[in-house]
Amino acid sequence: MYLQKALTKSIRTDFIVEMVQMVSGLLLVLFLWTHMVFVASILLGQSSFGALAGFMDKYELLPVTVVVLIFIFAAHIGAIMRHLPARWAEQKVAWRHAKMIRHKDTWSWLFQIVTGFGILLFAFIHIVAVTYGGISVSLSKGRIDNPGFLIFYAILLLMSEYHASVGLYRIFVKWGFVNRHRLDRVLGVVTLLMLVIGFVTLGVFLTLKVAGGGVA
Amino acid sequence: MSPRELTFHIFRYDPETPEVKPHTQTFKIPEEPAMTLFVALNKIRDEQDPTLKFDFVCRASICGSCGMLINGKASLACKTLTKDLPSDITLFPLPAFKLLGDLSVDTGTWFRDMSVRTESWIHTDKVFDETAQEEKMDDDLSLEIYEAERCIECGCCVGVCATANIRPNFIGATGINRVSRFMLDPRDKRDEQEYFEVVGNDDGIFGCVGLMACDDSCPIGVPLRGQLAYVRRKMAVAGWHRK
Amino acid sequence: MNSYDITTTDVLVVGAGLAGERAAVAAAEAGHNVIILSLIPPRRSHSSAAQGGMQASLGNAAMGKGDNPDVHMYDTVKGSDWGCEQDVARMFVETAPIAVREMAHWGVPWSRVRNEKRMYEGTEIVEDPEKVGLINARNFGGTAKWRTCYTSDGAGHTLLYAMDSIVIKLGITVHDRMEAIELIHDGERCYGVVARSLRDGELHVYIAKTTVIATGGFGRLYAASTNAIINDGGGVAMALNSGVVPLGNMEAIQFHPTGMVPSWILITEGARGEGGHLLDKDGYRFMPDYEPKYKELASRDVVSRRIMQHIRAGHGVESPYGPHVWLDIRHLGEHRINTYLREISTIARTFAGIDPVKELIPVRPTQHYTMGGIRTNKDGKVYGLDNLFSLGESACWDLHGFNRLGGNSLAETVVAGRIVGKKIAEYTNDATLEVKSNLIQEHVNKVSARMDAIRARGKNGENWVDIRKEMQMTLELDVGIFRTGEHLQHAVSKLSDLYERAQNVGLMGGGGQGADPELVNAMRLPGMLKLALTIARGALERKESRGSHFREDYPKRDDENWLKRTLAYWPEGAKLPELKYESITITEIPPGDRGYGESSGKK
Ligand SMILES: Cc1cc2nc3c(=O)[nH]c(=O)nc-3n(C[C@H](O)[C@H](O)[C@H](O)COP(=O)(O)OP(=O)(O)OC[C@H]3O[C@@H](n4cnc5c(N)ncnc54)[C@H](O)[C@@H]3O)c2cc1C
Ligand code: HEM
Ligand code: HEM
Ligand code: SF4
Ligand code: F3S
Ligand code: FES
Repeated sequence: MYLQKALTKSIRTDFIVEMVQMVSGLLLVLFLWTHMVFVASILLGQSSFGALAGFMDKYELLPVTVVVLIFIFAAHIGAIMRHLPARWAEQKVAWRHAKMIRHKDTWSWLFQIVTGFGILLFAFIHIVAVTYGGISVSLSKGRIDNPGFLIFYAILLLMSEYHASVGLYRIFVKWGFVNRHRLDRVLGVVTLLMLVIGFVTLGVFLTLKVAGGGVA
Repeated sequence: MSPRELTFHIFRYDPETPEVKPHTQTFKIPEEPAMTLFVALNKIRDEQDPTLKFDFVCRASICGSCGMLINGKASLACKTLTKDLPSDITLFPLPAFKLLGDLSVDTGTWFRDMSVRTESWIHTDKVFDETAQEEKMDDDLSLEIYEAERCIECGCCVGVCATANIRPNFIGATGINRVSRFMLDPRDKRDEQEYFEVVGNDDGIFGCVGLMACDDSCPIGVPLRGQLAYVRRKMAVAGWHRK
Repeated sequence: MNSYDITTTDVLVVGAGLAGERAAVAAAEAGHNVIILSLIPPRRSHSSAAQGGMQASLGNAAMGKGDNPDVHMYDTVKGSDWGCEQDVARMFVETAPIAVREMAHWGVPWSRVRNEKRMYEGTEIVEDPEKVGLINARNFGGTAKWRTCYTSDGAGHTLLYAMDSIVIKLGITVHDRMEAIELIHDGERCYGVVARSLRDGELHVYIAKTTVIATGGFGRLYAASTNAIINDGGGVAMALNSGVVPLGNMEAIQFHPTGMVPSWILITEGARGEGGHLLDKDGYRFMPDYEPKYKELASRDVVSRRIMQHIRAGHGVESPYGPHVWLDIRHLGEHRINTYLREISTIARTFAGIDPVKELIPVRPTQHYTMGGIRTNKDGKVYGLDNLFSLGESACWDLHGFNRLGGNSLAETVVAGRIVGKKIAEYTNDATLEVKSNLIQEHVNKVSARMDAIRARGKNGENWVDIRKEMQMTLELDVGIFRTGEHLQHAVSKLSDLYERAQNVGLMGGGGQGADPELVNAMRLPGMLKLALTIARGALERKESRGSHFREDYPKRDDENWLKRTLAYWPEGAKLPELKYESITITEIPPGDRGYGESSGKK
């Protein structure tokens, strides 16, 4: 025991941070899936998407969501930083180690870190775009029609789903409720499903003929 | 069928001569029937390079001395048959431990330190009574304890764990498994809060990010994933109750 | 002048196996400062390899009902072929049950008596409900009752881990990778050791009121041994080198019939117990020819002898590792093999890549245990030097005489650790710490002179690999299971030559700097040859057959002339060991018929 440790650290800190990490991760997964349902409502028709967008508008849900999301992100990142190879030297150790032992779950952890930071960047741009640009069928289509934005979304989608899937896998494995390899398969299927929905949605947006002259 | 020729790429480094950079050296030997890496390495040392450092004690996968990275996989060299490997074999010492030279690492110091920090002994106020009969224990429970105690301290699970490689104070899957062994044992009188003080932190169970390389590498088949999860759940409950 | 570190302590224990650690615990509990030295981290010591179990007459198991120290005593004395010290055996059998329970108190998860019926060899075993949950026992050779306490297949492992946990709890200092090479003594009293670090090759001096040697067996003098590769007798040789400490009964070497080729890992007797056969190179089952009545299930030493006889007659299977025979369990069927002989099939699969359901297992009798060692009295105090103790397999306390019973050596380590440990503690209370610095310097110089000479010879010296191999083969072929005057004579002269050559050992590789493994091995070589010579010479002189020592030219036990213990000394500068004899303490069971083996007259 060292003086500073004895003075500053509650013995529960590590436990609480671990719980924050897990809960924030789960909330983000929840958000991601809800968000997917929301965006994919376009599959049911423009009116459903429009209705949802209007609903959000009406009750000023957008700023609330953004604020809550920022909190969760902050908690998630804050909690996670303590486990990451933070210094450059540690990064090198981690990557060389993964190369040396050629172990799947170790690689997936490194990808999780990479995708996490990618998401951070991309989601920031995306959120700025939708909050300031506004949400409606035509506005959304307008963005997706832009090839740059399309690629941007495709990448964000892949990163998010990968990250969420690996994150869930890790939670289950760590708490030990399920068989590792079966879990791997179940989550693989779920992720694939989400990706399919995501890409189909993007496709629908692309081929969409906006009804009612672009009014949501 | 003529025997294969095996090509070994062996990591060489002597901390005594830091001016010689770490490198891999190549040795060739003919394969023999039922050849293990124990036999092969000794052959190389006896016939080609008597300065090669490596550790074997029991050569029967009992003592845990000979963990190393064999083509990237951590395992016991003494129980690895060359016939299960390609003819190109790369050998590296276990990462995460202090390197003593070539394939030899200092697992002893690491494990003693881990045992001290996890207080790996039965905590009890009872004084041994020479005249008394032993306390009874259900045989299934003794089997369960033995299951955790089968760990031979080879260090494979520590070597492959990225967390243990980055964080020198992390006690690793073997340390957490060790704690679970005492948690199971009714002779140990520590309560959940005392265990929490030992492993309810980032050097213990909450430092584990679930990489599962440990579980994939244990040459003895200690059910590490289950042990880690068991301790995590127990410690979460303890953390919840804690004031 | 050579530089070195000096460490002082009350008790210095060389060896961190079960025996050394138990003694260290006893000394530390009595308030002494204790340091343990070991070649390797304590938990890697060969004690961990014992899978079978330890004997103690608890009598909990149904098949052990009615067991008591007297029965254990009789089995042990008979097993030793009346070669053991009966007062020692008496203390041992009385203490073994306490030692087992103490180990339970310290955390060994002994297998317990289960509340279930089971079939064994056609009879049903019903456990006593009162005993359910108490420490269980299994069957072992040479015992009248089921007496061997066990933890599944890891008795030694769990014992050593529990013992080491107490060492850690008590905060006893352990210096691992530290090889003791020279006793510091003045011919009367021992003051400690000169040791060499296997991490960096530096010399260290340890000064202690009391020094203890618990360095285990030395099976690796033989080409084929079930022992760990570090079991090369360094500690025992160190005692012999003093010139004044005798080794007892070095010729008493135990061979196990079925060591697996080429790793020499043990295949237990269970394989033959279940009905396995031994086959020669033509697939012919030869045991019935030699032992029509017991066949493969004659006693261990008998089966070992028959196998070697058959191999010598040219019926062995040739292999790069020397001739062997086959163990065939295929006819038992897949189910039986994978349920009742699981351990064997795992070992065969892992180490030989053989599936015993379909394939034959190559086996040969293999050196297994050394009954002899540093001769001590019943307090563990070494003959010839004060302030020096020894226990465990390295010692000849003489519990085992000429044949050790399976399960008695693990028990010996913890029992002797208790008994001798207490004596060490008492003795240390009265001892003082005083040593002349020039005595230390003298011994350090001796060691560094040896190292320097080896380094100086370099490639012009002898290659230690060759000499060691020749030594191992000589013992293997000439001082093995079957011994004759002619072969033993050959062994003695061959080993003497090798001993001479070993004086000129050099280095084929690097310059012997730091922890160069070649220098380590070269340094050990002369001591190993000394031990080999004590074995060969002791066997040559002992003109009778007793226990594991079997002379074809003297096939009978000869109590009239040979009911005595060999003591081998190696005076300074001698070329051969000097042999003396002492009488054996017989307190309760006069020599009689063992009821098995050739010495009983059944051939
Ligand atoms: C395969 C096998 C199975 C066995 N099974 C059984 C069984 O089922 N039941 C049973 O009763 N017995 C069994 N035995 C025998 C029993 O295991 C040993 O006799 C016993 O464990 C020896 O214990 P020990 O403490 O004397 O020595 P060890 O455990 O061998 O320890 C020796 C110690 O000395 C140290 N050392 C050696 N030389 C030096 C040196 N020069 N300097 C510093 N340190 C040194 C080593 O590092 C080690 O720590 C078996 C033996 C073998 C080989
Ligand atoms: C869509 C957004 C996100 C979702 C759904 C999500 C989900 C998750 C989940 C469920 C976990 C597992 C938590 C645990 O093991 O307890 C996790 C871990 C992780 N997340 Fe995220 N996360 C998101 C965003 C981010 C961001 C922006 C970062 C980047 C900084 C990030 C970095 C990480 C890292 C590095 C881990 C592994 C941490 C560890 O196991 O120690 N995540 N994430
Ligand atoms: C307040 C927060 C958010 C809102 C209101 C929001 C809204 C939307 C909307 C309206 C779309 C449709 C396309 C468009 O209009 O441009 C969309 C698409 C998308 N969003 Fe968000 N989003 C939010 C946060 C996030 C976050 C945090 C992520 C990732 C982690 C994310 C990932 C995506 C992806 C991948 C798409 C493309 C959908 C597809 O592939 O079908 N969004 N989002
Ligand atoms: S848990 Fe397994 S891999 Fe880890 S040290 Fe123990 S035996 Fe080795
Ligand atoms: S590899 Fe390491 S991070 Fe945890 S699951 Fe195993 S200890
Ligand atoms: S040498 Fe003991 S486990 Fe490999």
